[in-house]
Amino acid sequence: MAKAQILAIDAGGTMTDTFIIDENGEFVVGKAQTTPNDEHIGLMNSSKDALDQWNTTVEKEFPNLLAGVYSGTAMLNRLVSRVGLRVGLVLNKGMEDMHRMGRGVQSYLGYSYSDRVHINTHHFDEPLVPRKWTVGVTERVDLFGNVVIPLYEHEVEGAIQKLIDQDVEAIVISLLHSYTYPHHERKIRDIAERMIKDQNKNIKVFATVDYYPVRKESHRTNTTIVEAYAAEPSRETLAKLDQALREHGTDFNLRIMASHGGTISIEANELARTCVSGPIGGMVGAKYLSDNLGIKNVACSDIGGTSFDIGLITQGDLDIESSPDMARLVLSLPLVSMDTTGAGTGSYVRIDPNYGNITLGPDSAGSLVGVCNPESGIETVTVSDCHVVLGLINPDNFIGGAIKLSREKAYQAVKEQIADPLGMSVEDAAFGVTELLESQLRNYLESMILGKGYSPSQYACFSYGGGGPLHTAGYTKGLGFEDILVPAWAAGFSAFGCGAADFEYRYDKTLDLHLPEKASDEEILAAGKELQAAWDELKGHVGEEFKKNDYTGDDVKYRLFYRMQYQGQLNDLEIEAPISEFKSVNDYYTLVKTFEDMYTRVYAKSALSPELGYSITGAIVRGVVDVPLPKIPKEPLSDETPPDSAFLGTRPVYWDGEWIQAKIYEMEKLLPGNKLDALSIIESTATTFVVPPGFETYLDEHRIFHLKELNQ
Amino acid sequence: MKTVDEVQKKTKAPIGWDGKTLKEMRAEIDRVSKETGYYAGIKDLTFKEEDPIRFEKIFSKLRGGVVHARETAKRVAASPIVEQEGELCFSLYTPEADSIVTSTGIIIHVGTMGAAIKFMIENDYEDNPGINDGDIFCNNDNHVGNVHTCDVHTLVPIFWEGEVVGWVGGVTHVIDTGAAGPGSMPMGPVQRYDDGYQVTCRKIGENDELSKDWLLESTRSVRGAKYWTLDEKTRVAGCHMIRDLVLDVIREEGVDNYKRFIREIIEDGRRGFVNQVKMMTIPGKYRGVSFIDVPFEGLDLPKFAQQNSIIHTPSEITIHKDAHLEIDFEGSSRWGWHPFNATPVSITSGIWVMLSQTLVPNDRINDGAYYASTFGIPLGSWFNPDDIRSAHSNTWHGLVAGWTPLWRGLSRGYWGRGFLEEINAGNAHTSNWLQGGGYDHHGELSALNSFESAACGVGASAVKDGISHSAALWNPEGDMGDMEIWEILEPLLFMGREILPGSGGAGKFRGGNGWQSLRLGWGAKEWTMLVAGAGAMATDCGLMGGYPGAAGYRFSAYNTDLKERIEKRLPLPLGGDTDPDYPTYEKNMNAEVVNRDRQAVTTQEEFDDYDLILNYLRGGPGFGDPLDRDPKLVEEDLNDRYILHRYAEKVYGCVFTEKDGEYKVDLEATKEKRKQIRKERLERSMPTKEWMKKEKQKILNKDASKQVQLMYAESFALSEKFTDEFKEFWNIGDDWMIYEEDLNVTKLGRHINRFKNNA
Repeated sequence: MAKAQILAIDAGGTMTDTFIIDENGEFVVGKAQTTPNDEHIGLMNSSKDALDQWNTTVEKEFPNLLAGVYSGTAMLNRLVSRVGLRVGLVLNKGMEDMHRMGRGVQSYLGYSYSDRVHINTHHFDEPLVPRKWTVGVTERVDLFGNVVIPLYEHEVEGAIQKLIDQDVEAIVISLLHSYTYPHHERKIRDIAERMIKDQNKNIKVFATVDYYPVRKESHRTNTTIVEAYAAEPSRETLAKLDQALREHGTDFNLRIMASHGGTISIEANELARTCVSGPIGGMVGAKYLSDNLGIKNVACSDIGGTSFDIGLITQGDLDIESSPDMARLVLSLPLVSMDTTGAGTGSYVRIDPNYGNITLGPDSAGSLVGVCNPESGIETVTVSDCHVVLGLINPDNFIGGAIKLSREKAYQAVKEQIADPLGMSVEDAAFGVTELLESQLRNYLESMILGKGYSPSQYACFSYGGGGPLHTAGYTKGLGFEDILVPAWAAGFSAFGCGAADFEYRYDKTLDLHLPEKASDEEILAAGKELQAAWDELKGHVGEEFKKNDYTGDDVKYRLFYRMQYQGQLNDLEIEAPISEFKSVNDYYTLVKTFEDMYTRVYAKSALSPELGYSITGAIVRGVVDVPLPKIPKEPLSDETPPDSAFLGTRPVYWDGEWIQAKIYEMEKLLPGNKLDALSIIESTATTFVVPPGFETYLDEHRIFHLKELNQ
Repeated sequence: MKTVDEVQKKTKAPIGWDGKTLKEMRAEIDRVSKETGYYAGIKDLTFKEEDPIRFEKIFSKLRGGVVHARETAKRVAASPIVEQEGELCFSLYTPEADSIVTSTGIIIHVGTMGAAIKFMIENDYEDNPGINDGDIFCNNDNHVGNVHTCDVHTLVPIFWEGEVVGWVGGVTHVIDTGAAGPGSMPMGPVQRYDDGYQVTCRKIGENDELSKDWLLESTRSVRGAKYWTLDEKTRVAGCHMIRDLVLDVIREEGVDNYKRFIREIIEDGRRGFVNQVKMMTIPGKYRGVSFIDVPFEGLDLPKFAQQNSIIHTPSEITIHKDAHLEIDFEGSSRWGWHPFNATPVSITSGIWVMLSQTLVPNDRINDGAYYASTFGIPLGSWFNPDDIRSAHSNTWHGLVAGWTPLWRGLSRGYWGRGFLEEINAGNAHTSNWLQGGGYDHHGELSALNSFESAACGVGASAVKDGISHSAALWNPEGDMGDMEIWEILEPLLFMGREILPGSGGAGKFRGGNGWQSLRLGWGAKEWTMLVAGAGAMATDCGLMGGYPGAAGYRFSAYNTDLKERIEKRLPLPLGGDTDPDYPTYEKNMNAEVVNRDRQAVTTQEEFDDYDLILNYLRGGPGFGDPLDRDPKLVEEDLNDRYILHRYAEKVYGCVFTEKDGEYKVDLEATKEKRKQIRKERLERSMPTKEWMKKEKQKILNKDASKQVQLMYAESFALSEKFTDEFKEFWNIGDDWMIYEEDLNVTKLGRHINRFKNNA
């Protein structure tokens, strides 16, 4: 019996899943109802459920655990359902409408292209802070940090008192250009804290500059409000969870998955960045896996019921979006960048009544699967219905037989809604739908990689998620990926990712260092000094955070990044500094060259514009400490021929104009070393992996399938 | 005798298909499409029918690629207008310049870039200057069919084995074009020669490289060369990405299939559009009218342009029984010595911007829709000048006004069909345009053109209020942008950004509210400012009882005492001009000059540190009678400061009690008050015939301002049909007429005149 090593917790709105990983990388999944008021109860029940499968107990195993990572949806739910704290907002006087006006873009964030131009569909969500809890104080600082209007200190107390009188539970302070001149925000913060203390109130004060000192006030303000509104209330929950774990014998620092793809302590200063942890787990898992397998560039793809998510790992790093959006709010968090298109297995398939073309999504039946699910009440054809018609999924073994699907219903629906209007056979129509979906996903994947300045041949493609492996061959076909990997443990991949995330802090700071094309040495050194000072300051922050968990200087490995652009541009590039410290003029030229190499890759050589001069627009520091990470499973290799026990029989599958007898295998029973040719369908409870004509696959010692396109 | 060179030139193979020239191909498409009624004579969509999946795959690859190219390329730009507001667009064309697929963005340019390519074809560019693989062309000439000078096109031919298989066009709205005033849509130009640097379909690069003389000349011709340069790089990068994409598709699908595809997808677009019109509307005529003021008297302009006038745009949408869409603008005003003129292409192509937001909100929009419609654009009118001297720098002033009746017309059709959610009461007059230029706070020669107007209020629908501060007619994906970003570009500090109560038109469903930014001069040297917007007139009128959005005005203050007030920590003018009838700005400062009036267009004025200027972004029109609005919604609007108290009472007929600044509507009293208002309305009303009699007398007496008389005189001079209808409606005899020459206005440019029998 293996020893439990790592605990990953995924606390959803209704169910809490726990993943316990042992020293060999094997894992068990436990489930229990989430207990929103006392999350630790759900966690313990779920852990018990998991460990039952190993015939052991929480009491026995928890003291063995080396690490624990939490991810949950409580914060996001609080945000989306607008049930956070009563937050008061202090803004520049005259700009009190700023937050509720939001940004126009927030009225169509997350929309499909069609709806983005369809004006009558646009809407704003309720602001997190109502206008009546917003106060203004007179001050203005310009973008260079010059004080144009000094803080009217005599206005501050009245403004704060107004908020206190409204019984706010937190106060956020956001002034224009505070990222370059923090003093006014801090002055107000100090006055507010003193008043709160004097009046014996329990109100926490958040100055944006203490949290997210970066340009773009709507992003910075939203993020700090999220910190106060949704994240702050979770501190207590997390502390209770930690306490409950410790009472059951654990001895590790509970960490939370954060938006930048690392984990941070539950005591971290900036907790808002843990709001978005859910969907990036898979990306982090892929990164860990690729690090271990020595793969530098990875395109991660995940098809679920409602969407296709892709993200890139380039030169071993996750792509980071620094001004992302979430829950229809623009934010200034570093977020693992993922592109999502509303095309999943549950996506509705329709014929446009006026144009006569097939449309896929953007809406979907989600977990209700499709017309083939007799219980669902769904009447519109979905992609899954097409799978059923084609024989790609076994109607009797969908999610391990949990839902019995009706091929008859799917067939009728595809016939009436798609095939007949197009004048095609039902099978050809269903196949056409999957082809079209795959072609769209393929274009999407390709353009994302090209947009980074690379070609697919420089990338390996990882495919996971319930719907992914069914279409992997289709959406990778002809792109020439270096390798295509499908982990046989796809179901637990996201949780594996959480367990595999580094303990890492990342801090960003906006800089405004402008240098002409032919800058003098003095100018270069002055700028370099400022850049280095910013790196030092951020290293200080990172160090402080790690201190909370008793890590000291030498334990932390720092990585320095900078953001650079041509002067005047509004988009910069984030680049790892090829230097460990800015010492000389030559260091500057190294930074410029690294920037221009990357710029040429991304935008083509014709877009190089050295004549405009350069701007260093940001400094970033990432610090990592070693924590125990899960092992990647490794099993001995056996024959190329799969064992008889894995073979489930054959089933007719319609593929590109003909019915073929497909060989059906049970994923869990295949052995490392096994090689399968077309047409094979490999089934597991959580996914179906299709090896179509023109492809073959091989299961390696880590239980990862490699899909190979023949004749490439 | 011919020289060797001439003979060799003749023998150079044409670059069109099957040995034809592009000019021959263009003529063929027009002839065949006209004769058959199908685009390119394609009666059967054989490709689409035989292989619908493959057809769709090609479409989605091209469309996805064009959209992606736009998203990627725009990150090169420095201009927030492009990068933040998305004022750019890419479109793919057939060799003859018909649009196949287009990106999102300012899709008005689907037509204008097509017009530029057609211009090159028409002028035998194939022979001279030659069209070769790797060439780059530039156009922004208004009279070739551009919207206005600041929309700069980059056009790149796509070759496959020596043949042109298409063109790709990219356009961005640049910040400055070196016009008579700074900014992209300045006041100042009254003739083409004031509109700034105009490039007429010029070859600016070969072998994918821009030529040095072009780079030097163009950057020396505009203010804000940095923005110009990076905008151009954005366009070139996007065009090349799309060219690569097309070549990739051809390699995959074969050139013959690609050729079949591009013909069929346009015919497919035509049919889809027809079906969409059939589904959403009812055949018949939908008439409307719009007006916009041109208050040029006393501005710093040539004498002949210093004239107050009104641009009159009557429109008639006819939906034929076969769903053919016809839009006729007969009776519109003459073009004039102002920068609000337009070209036929910009008004017809621009209509798609609107239609794609309501009638066809999908990605299939291409020139097929154009082939399914007809437009009546009278020669000599403000959107079809008969003189190359016309100025166009701020075309949108006229266009946004001219289109608002079209929303209402179509909305009546949607109403009839029960598509209540699709109804839109019209659009805000998307202004103010805050512009300026000089040496900025970075010490560079630059210009500004605030695009906060991309986030105006939207017209109400028949089921909900219009959305506030979020979109513009010309850009549904509107955004006001971050103040910290605008302040990088603009030497103006924000002193306020606030929703303006009452700016959205009242109605059962309220128009989306507009808002205001107050800006303080800061850090520039030698800077001038100007504003451009609707002032004296509301350009829309609301729908089915709804009110128009509030009209515009200007506020600016020069030589203020703000510096001293700041030193003394005294209250300052901050925030919006919440209730312009009871202004507070002036109470919180002294200024030598305060402009608070309806003069919402101005020419350049010097602007120093501590001067103030207001940017007022307009609200949208309302739908339905305000007395039918749910009183609880009026209460919400009042408490959320979307309306002012006195109008909540007067216009909405609501009665409130107030405690600690919170209003509560008294439902019983409101019911009574509304009953009373309805009664007063009846008392005030009179039979239509009686009212017409009084109005007719006013007409006979010419009892109207000079501007109104001139407006009609121009329409009468240009259109017999309009005159006849007008006279028939009012039953006015032959001897009554208003003539332009009787009104003491400039004679310059008044060419076409049916009374002088020279039309």
